[in-house]
Amino acid sequence: MKKILFAPALVLTFLGTALAAPEMVTLPASDYKAILEQLKTLQTRVETLEHQSPTTKATSAAMPNKLAKDVELIYDTLDEVETKTLKDRINLGAELRTRVDNFKVKNHLYFSTGSTGTQESNDNSWTNRFRLNLDADIQKNLKFTGRLTAYKNFADSDSPNADVLGDSNNAHLPDGSNIKLDRAYVDWIPSNMPIPLAITFGRHPSSEGPPFEIKENRKRQSTYPALLFDGEADGVVATIGLERYTGWKDSGIRFAWGKSYQDDDDVNSYLDAPSGLDDSNVFAAFFETQIPGINDSLLVLSALRANDLVADFTSLGITPAANIGDIDLYGIHAQANKVMGSNFALFLSLGLDKTHPNGTTMSYGPYTMGLLNSDGTSSHSGWAVYTGLAYTIPSPRLNNPKIGFEYNHGSDYWFSFTSGSTELYNKLATRGDVYDIYYIQPFNDNLYARFGYTYADYDYALSGYHIGDFGDSEEKLRNAYFLMDCRF
Amino acid sequence: MKKLLIQMTIGAFLCASAAVATADSQGLFLDKCGSCHKRGGQAAVVNPADKAGRVWEKYFARGRHPVDMGINEGDLGAVIQYLADHAADSDQPASAVIPK
Repeated sequence: MKKILFAPALVLTFLGTALAAPEMVTLPASDYKAILEQLKTLQTRVETLEHQSPTTKATSAAMPNKLAKDVELIYDTLDEVETKTLKDRINLGAELRTRVDNFKVKNHLYFSTGSTGTQESNDNSWTNRFRLNLDADIQKNLKFTGRLTAYKNFADSDSPNADVLGDSNNAHLPDGSNIKLDRAYVDWIPSNMPIPLAITFGRHPSSEGPPFEIKENRKRQSTYPALLFDGEADGVVATIGLERYTGWKDSGIRFAWGKSYQDDDDVNSYLDAPSGLDDSNVFAAFFETQIPGINDSLLVLSALRANDLVADFTSLGITPAANIGDIDLYGIHAQANKVMGSNFALFLSLGLDKTHPNGTTMSYGPYTMGLLNSDGTSSHSGWAVYTGLAYTIPSPRLNNPKIGFEYNHGSDYWFSFTSGSTELYNKLATRGDVYDIYYIQPFNDNLYARFGYTYADYDYALSGYHIGDFGDSEEKLRNAYFLMDCRF
Repeated sequence: MKKLLIQMTIGAFLCASAAVATADSQGLFLDKCGSCHKRGGQAAVVNPADKAGRVWEKYFARGRHPVDMGINEGDLGAVIQYLADHAADSDQPASAVIPK
């Protein structure tokens, strides 16, 4: 092409030169200018063609017209699809759980009245839990994860609309702008750091931690072992990868900070309340690793300090709320998901707490209550053990169902941050013994059923409370349940 | 206070510079593309938000524009950058710079 375009130019030049020497050719000035202009245009065209990509040349030159049109059409379709894909910044997933529980409770101590119930039960307590899971790979080193949750009793919304018309119009009438933010956090791995570092900030994945994934039949859901922390938490976490230094797979150390209580003025929410409480700050460090020599395993060592714990029972008419002291928590969690390559999963979790009361007490009915004491000053220690195993039955015909057993024991004065427990009676807070057996029947990759039975024998009253010392208990709880869980 | 004023002045200057750069790029886009890609023009109306940024880059890398745009390499680069900056997946998608 280049050659062809240059030919007229050469001819013109030759003609001009040849005719100039022996014979002169006289051209009108306008013709001469036109020839020069034509030369210039040709030169520009040649340069343009030289700068075009080889792909273009191949496409236009080599392809038949129909094929070239088809390719263009495919490109246009790809453009639309790719544009739509790139605009979809968040991936959505969902899970729905419907559960029915049968509860029987004996000798439960009612905090508000100070009396002990004889026997109470609920033959069929039905709940629905819907979760919308979100995630986005924002950048190569920046990831967002979130979860919005609606969790309710059947036919029970406790909303203003429910007063007259029940639950059936709760999502169909104006009723505020709240949704429940279960978790929303960003993982950021800064580039060019001298050490492997990840920063996580937001509302953390701090519920249903190890070993709950065994019973929940899913991947690990939380950074923290459930015995020490099972709930929602806002904070910042720095994780330093240690694998390159220790040689232990997935080893790392985490430093976490968060607040379990932030004081605010109800009128001006950005200000502290006048004469308000100190915030409760939680500082924690975790070391975790895969146990050397054991594939698909986990070891977590935990230490946590929560300062200025708050007792706030203003809704019961106990005023004022107060800071009642600090607490330390320590934990060891070990877990093997395929013991010796078998279908057995096994775990053992230990916890220890120690209180540092500040002398503050509050009174309610017959009680005087400080931090796990009734005098405001006594410091106590508690401990807990949580262990269990599960066996996946290798039966493809039955979709490999799973059977599991768990046991946990908490001493007097055992307390940890497990108020967000999946089990509504806060199983791991129990000061006593709990036996739990379950069977999981998968139907396919997205749907499974679980039924189980739990028996809790409480040695001390009002497990899960961090205030007061309510003495011995004869409380027993029996819970049989069935649930269907669908995730997609 | 003096420091704050200096910072604010610098900030305002940077913002103004960015705005001028954007206006220049937009002007270039309107001039080079908008002359044909306009309502009643020789080609269909086109706007940055019609495609994602990466898609625009591939479009020109593949030489898919059907006719010679008569635009030099520098200006073409600036136009592609403008298209990417205001593409469908950008923070500031521009869908009506050229009215439809």
